[in-house]
Amino acid sequence: MGAAAAATLDYDAQLMLRVKEGDSPSFGVLLKKHRSSVIHFVYRMVQEQGVAEELAQEVFLRVYRSRSTYEPTAKFKTWLFRIAAHMALNWLRDEKHERGQERLDDASTDLPARQISDWRLSVEQKLVDDVKLDEVRRAVAALPDKQRAAVLMHKYEEMEYTQIAQVLGCSESAVKSLLYRAYETLRVRLAHMGTI
Amino acid sequence: MNCLTEDHNLEMLVAYAAGTLDLETAQALEQHLAGCAACRSAAAGQIAVWKALDAWEAPAVSPDFDRRLYRRIEQGVRLSWWGRLTRPFRAMPLSQALPLTASAGLLLMAGLILRHPGPIAPHRDIVRAKQVERTLDDLDLLRQFGTPDSTESVHRHAM
Repeated sequence: MGAAAAATLDYDAQLMLRVKEGDSPSFGVLLKKHRSSVIHFVYRMVQEQGVAEELAQEVFLRVYRSRSTYEPTAKFKTWLFRIAAHMALNWLRDEKHERGQERLDDASTDLPARQISDWRLSVEQKLVDDVKLDEVRRAVAALPDKQRAAVLMHKYEEMEYTQIAQVLGCSESAVKSLLYRAYETLRVRLAHMGTI
Repeated sequence: MNCLTEDHNLEMLVAYAAGTLDLETAQALEQHLAGCAACRSAAAGQIAVWKALDAWEAPAVSPDFDRRLYRRIEQGVRLSWWGRLTRPFRAMPLSQALPLTASAGLLLMAGLILRHPGPIAPHRDIVRAKQVERTLDDLDLLRQFGTPDSTESVHRHAM
């Protein structure tokens, strides 16, 4: 890679190139910078903390193992999330295959009974918030996998359409369509929660 | 202004809900919302979605996440070729691993046999033929060199 091309690289890609050259501390910098966003993204995809951390470990292991073949063809974050999305989507596919979407179908059955004493307002408020958050979680979980991934990258990672398209391996217009349908579905399911 | 319900206006709808729309566009949009019930509903719904998603915080990352990762990286670096080869079978229960090992063994043997199909018999025949040939040559030599002696000895005995 020429010096001019290297200059246009984002800082993370430059760090990854240093990892490629054997500079391990640069990997530590990348891990520190992206650890939370990768784990949170995977968590919101799979909605199980233990699984999310295991998958995130695999993501960073793959990043480290592929250091020798790394080529900065896209933004580092796009490449990283491509791996993360791939891991999460594969896990969801396998999980659905095993459980037959058991967890999504029983949406209304496993909520705990909420019998709240009137005199404990703070506890009541906490429970109401919990119920609302549970509703958000279920609404996101009920989205088709790619729509869910697109919404999470758009909302929480503030990624551009082109980046999301590169992560999901589709066109920019397909991403817009995914997001439009996803937000439309969420509006229907969550419109009553304007006061959360 | 076009309606927000059209998908090419998604960016404007999202930006309005997120409060990141510039003042001028926001004012134009609000004028439009005042007279368009469908867009008003979409905007209110999107604001609700945005707030709801904002409220969903992911749990904190385990404090030993990095330590576990570095340990796995170190293990991966230390792993020998035999370790890499057997790694997929390690987590497997014995009931699954045994038939797989047996099958792998059978395949290996079959491969070795197919690589050397019936090798011994032709080789042995060639050796035998060569030995016969050599013996005949030797006899020829003996005959050539031995005839005068043998005739001489026969004469000697006769005398």
